[in-house]
Amino acid sequence: MPDPTPPLPPAGPDEVALLIDDRPVVVRKGTTVLRAAEAAGLLIPHYCYHPGLSIAGNCRMCLIEIDKVPKLQIGCATAATQGMVVRTATPRVKTAREGIMEFLLINHPLDCPICDQAGECRLQQYEAAYGAGTSRFTDEKVHWPKRYDIGRSVVFDAERCIKCTRCIRFCDEISKSRELALFQRGDHAIIGTFPGKPLDNPYSGNTVDVCPVGALTWKPFRFKARVWFLRDVPSACAGCARGCNVNLGTYRNRVHRMTPRANLEVNRYWMCDAGRQSYAALTEQPRFERPLARPATDASEPIPWDEAVERAAALLREAVAAGADGVAAIVSARLSLEDLHVTQRALQAIGIGRVAVAPHEEGQDDHLLLRRDKTPNARGAALVGLGAPNAGRVKEILEDVSSGRVRGLLVVGEDPIGDGLIPASDLRRLPALVAIDWWKSPTVEAAGVALPACGYGEWEGTLVNFEGRAQRCRAALKPQGETEPVWRILAALARPFGFGAEYASASAVFDEAAAGIPALAGMSYRSLGTGGAKLKGA
Amino acid sequence: MAYDKLLTRNLGKPNSATLDAYQASGGYQGLRRVFKEFTPEKFVEEVKASGLRGRGGAGFPAGVKWGFLPKGLEVPRYLCVNADESEPGTFKDRLLIEQDPHLVLEGIIASAWAIGCHTAFFYIRGEFHKGARIFQKAIEEAYAKGLLGRNILGSGFDLDLIVYRGAGAYICGEETALLESLEGKRGLPRIKPPFPAVVGLYGCPTIINNVETLANVTLIAERGAAWFAAIGRPKNTGPKLFCVSGHVARPGVYEAPLGIPMKELIEMAGGMMRPDRPLKAVVPGGSSMKILPAAKCDVLMDFDSLAAAGTSLGSAGMFVMDSGTCMVDALWNVCRFYAHESCGQCTPCREGTGWFVKILKRLERGDGVPDDVELLDNVASRVEGNTICPFGEAVAWPVQSYVKEFRDEFQEHVTRRGCPLAAAAAR
Amino acid sequence: MSLPVSTETDRQIDGLLGRFPQRGSALLPALHLIQAEKGHIPLEAMDYIAGKIGVSPAFVAGVVSFYTMFQQTPIGRHHIQVCCTLPCALRGAGSVMGYLERKLGIRRGGTTPDGKFTLSAVECLGACDTAPMFQINEEEYGQLDERRIDAILASLK
Repeated sequence: MPDPTPPLPPAGPDEVALLIDDRPVVVRKGTTVLRAAEAAGLLIPHYCYHPGLSIAGNCRMCLIEIDKVPKLQIGCATAATQGMVVRTATPRVKTAREGIMEFLLINHPLDCPICDQAGECRLQQYEAAYGAGTSRFTDEKVHWPKRYDIGRSVVFDAERCIKCTRCIRFCDEISKSRELALFQRGDHAIIGTFPGKPLDNPYSGNTVDVCPVGALTWKPFRFKARVWFLRDVPSACAGCARGCNVNLGTYRNRVHRMTPRANLEVNRYWMCDAGRQSYAALTEQPRFERPLARPATDASEPIPWDEAVERAAALLREAVAAGADGVAAIVSARLSLEDLHVTQRALQAIGIGRVAVAPHEEGQDDHLLLRRDKTPNARGAALVGLGAPNAGRVKEILEDVSSGRVRGLLVVGEDPIGDGLIPASDLRRLPALVAIDWWKSPTVEAAGVALPACGYGEWEGTLVNFEGRAQRCRAALKPQGETEPVWRILAALARPFGFGAEYASASAVFDEAAAGIPALAGMSYRSLGTGGAKLKGA
Repeated sequence: MAYDKLLTRNLGKPNSATLDAYQASGGYQGLRRVFKEFTPEKFVEEVKASGLRGRGGAGFPAGVKWGFLPKGLEVPRYLCVNADESEPGTFKDRLLIEQDPHLVLEGIIASAWAIGCHTAFFYIRGEFHKGARIFQKAIEEAYAKGLLGRNILGSGFDLDLIVYRGAGAYICGEETALLESLEGKRGLPRIKPPFPAVVGLYGCPTIINNVETLANVTLIAERGAAWFAAIGRPKNTGPKLFCVSGHVARPGVYEAPLGIPMKELIEMAGGMMRPDRPLKAVVPGGSSMKILPAAKCDVLMDFDSLAAAGTSLGSAGMFVMDSGTCMVDALWNVCRFYAHESCGQCTPCREGTGWFVKILKRLERGDGVPDDVELLDNVASRVEGNTICPFGEAVAWPVQSYVKEFRDEFQEHVTRRGCPLAAAAAR
Repeated sequence: MSLPVSTETDRQIDGLLGRFPQRGSALLPALHLIQAEKGHIPLEAMDYIAGKIGVSPAFVAGVVSFYTMFQQTPIGRHHIQVCCTLPCALRGAGSVMGYLERKLGIRRGGTTPDGKFTLSAVECLGACDTAPMFQINEEEYGQLDERRIDAILASLK
């Protein structure tokens, strides 16, 4: 009789070859069966296993059968060995999994209709795939507190908890804040905090992400949207120089949540709470949706784009004509590489030689993700030739504004008034103040002409993080009102000065920039993909 | 056959727990002999040759276990004495600890020497206040007489021994839970492999041996492997302490060679407590082991004979039940124990134990349904083999065996809407 | 801030910290010391010992809640722990518990109003040969019947 077992592929010295459900796989020595199965394109279901955390082995969902091993083994903690024959869907395995599903649900409230996790809940997914579909449990369930504020932003429902301890391990191993522990034992075991020491660390939201069920929910997202309506748009966080990879959970032209997207070279599986909530600024801060112009005495009034660009160009032309020293620009390192590249070219066309990129620093670099540099694209600013953020140069320009030496100022994405760097009255006195921003900042309100830009989530573009990794932000939302991406605004503003370049998209801008910047050589907008790419020499 | 008591030879003598009394009856001669006549490696071989199997419950050969220690690693090795005697029906280690601590201590020193351990721990369950005090005193005496500390008996061997008290958790009798507890944590069993002999206490190679096992090492040190192996039956060698409790006239610890007939042990314990109530069943090895109905009680009390009978010697905590015992009630009690003691770490045990209790409570109270009996058995089959530690079997086995052996009685609880025995007692 | 334990206990705990190859092992013995002094383990003491050992207070509280001997709230001066596991149950543990509940006028888990007795049902204490039995604080009493229980309780101050 022919041997029905497929032959094992050859394995290198640091590798082992094995069969998982008759699929040959070669993995590095020390790889677990669960990971090896993943490599072979097979899912071994699991709750407690998380690639970013230590192995706990407690959920028992990943039980699999190994030839010549009498008991079922857990895939998450069993190392693949040479010649191992693993089976993940035998009747024994299926019965065991069905049992685990039944056990996990006997004390679960089955309150899916009111649970935020519904739709992305492992209990739902696995019950459908591996469960019996019914329960033989007819007794009273164990009852626990529900809707309990376990931390500032995290709500705990102990009845939904399956004690996989992912959240505890996150706080012990990743945030190192150690607020959580398992209390009691048996079927009365419960996750908890020490009285007076709630779950409150800069990364607490990740406990919600790692929770495979609805036990931990993110307060700002509770009851906001059913997850099956959300479209996850892959992007990068613009909250600091790290550029954590994220998904923007979008529904009806609104971001409802921001969650980390795994990128082992940037943020692994995590993001900070501040970044997680950064999308909220878009709806919480006042927008202006049409260009504004300020008549000599009155408050700003909306005007059409053509007229606004004309007036802004006229203001800048006058200022430049009065002497190149009398005009300057303050540019934000929160802009995309595309914005910064066009800004750089536009400033040259307009004749503004004096430029400062504004720094924003807060706190310290921490052990995990948070960067003191709160600008997501300082490297990008330097790359396009605008220079690195420099507080001294910003200060000098603003001092010259106050003293009257500078008569024209173009502010792109910055708010020196709101940041307390200059009194509003000094900027209002300026003969030529042109501001470009996505929100109605005090500086916008003081501007002679203010041009409305797209906000985060509305624009497409690239950010270069502190490690020199170019990453794409994708537009998740339609731009509000008449807002435009900064690069398009700057191109329009420079056109009366002879600036001839036309761009159809951010992609076109990037490709032009890449052609001229050695560190970007060979890159294209498309090639950045969802994971980004490192700059040459970074 | 006349049998000279070995493990309990000093019991009942005045001041049996003191070093003086112990030495007066020849104590620590075995250790001297071992230091003189063996190398550590040879003594490991000697213990292997004796056939001594662990007395904690699993019955794994002690010398073989020692042999699992990795060779040539420059890290400390630890010996942890498992004195967390918590298996319901078991009270033999307590007896040794309280009445003849030096018999155990001598075995600890010899074993530590054999495996190259210089710091050993005596993990004793927290409730054994008296035992901990007595053993601590024995250790202090030993230090004072050069039996612990530096250069023991001029051998050049150093050993420190620390008493570590548990705090109320059955699961800490499981080797790796014990290690977690000793490290100051919740007593959650670890995933194996790695086994403690490779990665144990503080991540170092560690041997965990039961109290009675180590007392037997003393006997082997005194009189050698061949002598030891001649006691008992092949592959089931040496003397054994049997704990007999429940419905017997004189519950207690009885020493006999491995392989003594169960019925003889019951006779040693004075026979049944009430003459009017015959034997109904015996659990031979602590509550985790499968129950034997009276008809299956003509067995020998050793590892292999009981395995052949479908159960296990376990901790030799043998409890006897007479005809007045309701098996549903008894199993309810057993499952309450396991539900209370489940560490709560892994799914089948955490959820299954509580579920058993709920079903059994209903059955006993008369609220059972016909499917319940099958349900008990089936749920047990989904716990068994699927947990991190042997606790899963420890609860599944009683459930499966009580149901299997007394299925009619369980069914009767459904059809008669409650416990027939309780109803009879109430009449 | 004042110490949540006596200076003597504090000194003993300091002694424990260096006793083990790893400091964490000091936790259980330290908790025993705290309970010996206080009768239970107050939250402030958990926080204190967490700091000493270098673990989180949540971790300590998790450990305390795992082990049945550690009391998280004050209990009576005499803690009557009746073994109710099967070998004792076969020999009348249920009657012992019932008698104690009636005699003390409290249910299992309760404490008498004068704070003298706390009554608990506990799992196997490894003294099945003396069943039915209970432990009061650190002492064990076996072969219990109503007369013997009366005498034992009467002897306690």
